[in-house]
Amino acid sequence: MDAYFVAILTIAGIYVILALALNLQFGLTGLINFGVVGFFGVGAYASAIATETLHLPFIGGLGVALLAGAVAGALISLLSLRLSGDFLAIVTLGFAETIRLVFNNEDWLTGGPRGFLISTRPVMQGLGRGEAAWAILGVILLAALVAFVILQRLAVTPYGRALRAIREDDLVPATLGKNVFLYRLQSFVIGSMFMAAAGSLYAHYVQTITPENFTTPVAILVWMSVVVGGAGNMVGTLVGALVVVTLYEGSRFLAPWLSFLDPEQVSALRFIIIGSVLILTIRFRPNGLLPEASRVPPAPAVPLTHPKG
Amino acid sequence: MHVTRRLFLTATAATLATPALLRHGLAQSAPIRVGSLTPLSGGGGPYGPEKAKAHKVVVDLVNANGGVLGRQIELIADNSETNPEVAVRAARKMIDADRVCAILGTWASSVTLAIMPLCQEANVVQIFTGSSDYLPNGDKKHLCYNLQPLNSAWAVALADLAVKRGFREVAFAGPKNDFASSMGESFSKSLNKAGGKIIGEPFYYNTNQVSYRAEAERLMAMKAPAVFIAGYVTDFTPIYRELIRGGYTGKIFTLSFAVGPDFKKAVGNAADGILHGSPVPPVGKDTYDAYLRLVGAKPNGQVQYPYGCAAYDEMNLLLLGIEASKSTDGPKIAEAIMKMANGPGESVSTFAEGAKAIAAGKGINYDGASSSVEFLPNGMLKSRDFALYEVQKGEDVPILTTTSVVE
Repeated sequence: MDAYFVAILTIAGIYVILALALNLQFGLTGLINFGVVGFFGVGAYASAIATETLHLPFIGGLGVALLAGAVAGALISLLSLRLSGDFLAIVTLGFAETIRLVFNNEDWLTGGPRGFLISTRPVMQGLGRGEAAWAILGVILLAALVAFVILQRLAVTPYGRALRAIREDDLVPATLGKNVFLYRLQSFVIGSMFMAAAGSLYAHYVQTITPENFTTPVAILVWMSVVVGGAGNMVGTLVGALVVVTLYEGSRFLAPWLSFLDPEQVSALRFIIIGSVLILTIRFRPNGLLPEASRVPPAPAVPLTHPKG
Repeated sequence: MHVTRRLFLTATAATLATPALLRHGLAQSAPIRVGSLTPLSGGGGPYGPEKAKAHKVVVDLVNANGGVLGRQIELIADNSETNPEVAVRAARKMIDADRVCAILGTWASSVTLAIMPLCQEANVVQIFTGSSDYLPNGDKKHLCYNLQPLNSAWAVALADLAVKRGFREVAFAGPKNDFASSMGESFSKSLNKAGGKIIGEPFYYNTNQVSYRAEAERLMAMKAPAVFIAGYVTDFTPIYRELIRGGYTGKIFTLSFAVGPDFKKAVGNAADGILHGSPVPPVGKDTYDAYLRLVGAKPNGQVQYPYGCAAYDEMNLLLLGIEASKSTDGPKIAEAIMKMANGPGESVSTFAEGAKAIAAGKGINYDGASSSVEFLPNGMLKSRDFALYEVQKGEDVPILTTTSVVE
C-alpha cells in the first residue's frame, strides 16, 4: 500500500505543477490554454530525446525541456498575436493535436506509436525498487514546491497585479502604460515552461511515453483542478489538483463495495462521480474551493470638512 | 494511567508490528488477488466487456468449488480505457495496493507494453491478447503470455490469399498505430515470399478524421489492382465509402473486425467482393462451446465473443499455473504455465480437470477455448485458427480456415 501511495503522490505532484502553470496563464492572466497537454508532451519528448538520443544527463534533459517549452510557448503566442479569448483557445487546442500527430508520425525522432523507452532516471543509479520510488517522489515534490514558490511569488507581486488587471480589462493597464502584449507573452511562456518541466519529470518517471499519453483528457483533468480549486489562487489550485487526483484514484477503491455491478458499470460510475463533483462545485462554489482573495478597495476617507452649499 | 517512556515504546512497537503479525497469520488463508485490466471504454470498448465477463465467470466457478490451493480468488477488475497512461495508474494500484500476482486481459498493444515495465519490476505475470510484433521484446523475465498470434502470422494468410487470387501487386494502407505499422512490415515480407510485392510505400493515415477523402484519393492514385487496408471499423468505413464513390474497381482486402455488422449496415450491397480474414476461435470445438455456454451464449456455428474466449483461457491458465506451482510468486507461476500449455500430459480444458490431474501427480496439457494454447519460448502463441472470408450479398462466405503456425 505504501508503494501505491508513493506512486499516486508522484502523479499528483506532476498534476500540481501542470495546474499551477495553467493557473498562471488562465487564473491570473485570463489566457485560455486548452493545449496544456501539448506543452506537457513537448517537454516529455524533448527531455527523452535529449537524454536517450543525445545521452545528456537527466538535468540536461530537464533544461532542454524547459527550453523547448519556452520556444513552443513563444511561437504559439506570436501565432495568435492578440493572445486573447477564443483565438488563443482554438490555436492551443490545435497545437496540442498537431504536436500529438507529430509525435505519432515522426518515427525516426519519437519512436512513433510504438513509444519512446527512457532509461535515464531523475535519481542516482543502483537504488532498490522502493528507494527509487521514494527518491523520485522527493524530486517531483521538490519540483512542485519550487513551482509553487515561484508562481506564488509572481502572483502576489505588482507583476501579478498587472496580470490580474489585464485579465479583468486590458484597456485599463494599457492606459496606464503597461505593455499588455508583453505581459501576456511572458505569462504564457513561463506557464508553458513549467508544463514542459512537468512533462520531463513525467517521462523519466514512467519511462515509456507514447503519443496516446498526451491526449486531451489529461488537459481536462488539469482544467478541472484549476476550476475546482479556485482560479487565480495558487493555494486553491494546489488543493484542487490534489482533490481531483484523489477523486480519480480514490474512486478505484469503491469497486469492492459495488460488486453487484459489472466492472463496466463500476468504471462508468467513477466518471459519474467525478463529473458530479465538478458540477456540484460549480453550482455551490462557483469560484472554486478556495476562491481568489478579492481586494475590496478601502473606503474613501471621510472628508474633513463638509463642502458647503 | 501514567505513560512511562518504556510503556510508550512497548505499545508503539506492538502497534506497529500488528499488521506484520496479522499478515503472517492471514497469508495462508487470505484470498489470492488477480488483476483484470480490460478496455471497457475507448478503442477496445467493443471487446473489453466480454473479456471482463469471461474472467469473472471462471473465477466464480473456481471459487464455488473451493478455490485454488484452498484459497479464494479475489478478482480486482478495472478499466484500462484503452489508454496507456490510465492503464499505468490502474496497474500501479493493482500491483502496489492490491498486491495482485498477475494482470490479465489487456487488449491494445500500447497498453500491454506500457504496463510491462511495472509488471517486470514487481514480478507480476501478464497474460493478454495483442498482435504487435514488438510485444515479446520487453519481457526480460519471461512473465508474459499472449493468446493472440502476432501480426506476422496474420499477414502470411492474407498474402497467400492475395497471390492465389492473382493479385501480385498490392498497395497497403492502415492507421498510424503500432498494430498497423507492424502489420505493414509483415505483410510486405509475406507478399514478397509468396512472389508478389507491395506497390509504393506502405501508406499510414491518422485516425479520427472528419473526412478521409484525401487518403482515398491517394490510394486510387497508386493505381493498384488490389489494396490491403488494415483499419478498424471507424476508419475503414469512411475510406471504403470514398473509394467506392471515387470509382475504385480494384480488390479490397481487410481484417474481419473492420467489416462486422456495423460496416455491412452502413454500406449495404457495396460491401460485396471484400476479402477479409482474422484469427478465429475454433467454431464447433467442444472447449469453445463450453465457454459459450458458461457465459450464457448459444453455440450457433458462428464466431461469437472472439476475445472473450481468449480471456477465458487467460484466467484458466493463470489459476492452473498457481495450482501447479503451489505458489503466488510470478516467475514460478509463469514457469508452470509454460509447462501446462505445451504439455506433455493429460489434455484438460478447465481448471477443475487440471486441478484433479495435478493432485494425481500427472502432467497436463491445457486445451483452450480460443486455441489449443501452445506457446513459443518467448511466450507468444504458436498457432491459432485463421479464417478467410469473402463478402457476397452482404454475408460473410468462408473461403478457407487455416491454422497459422509460427516457426
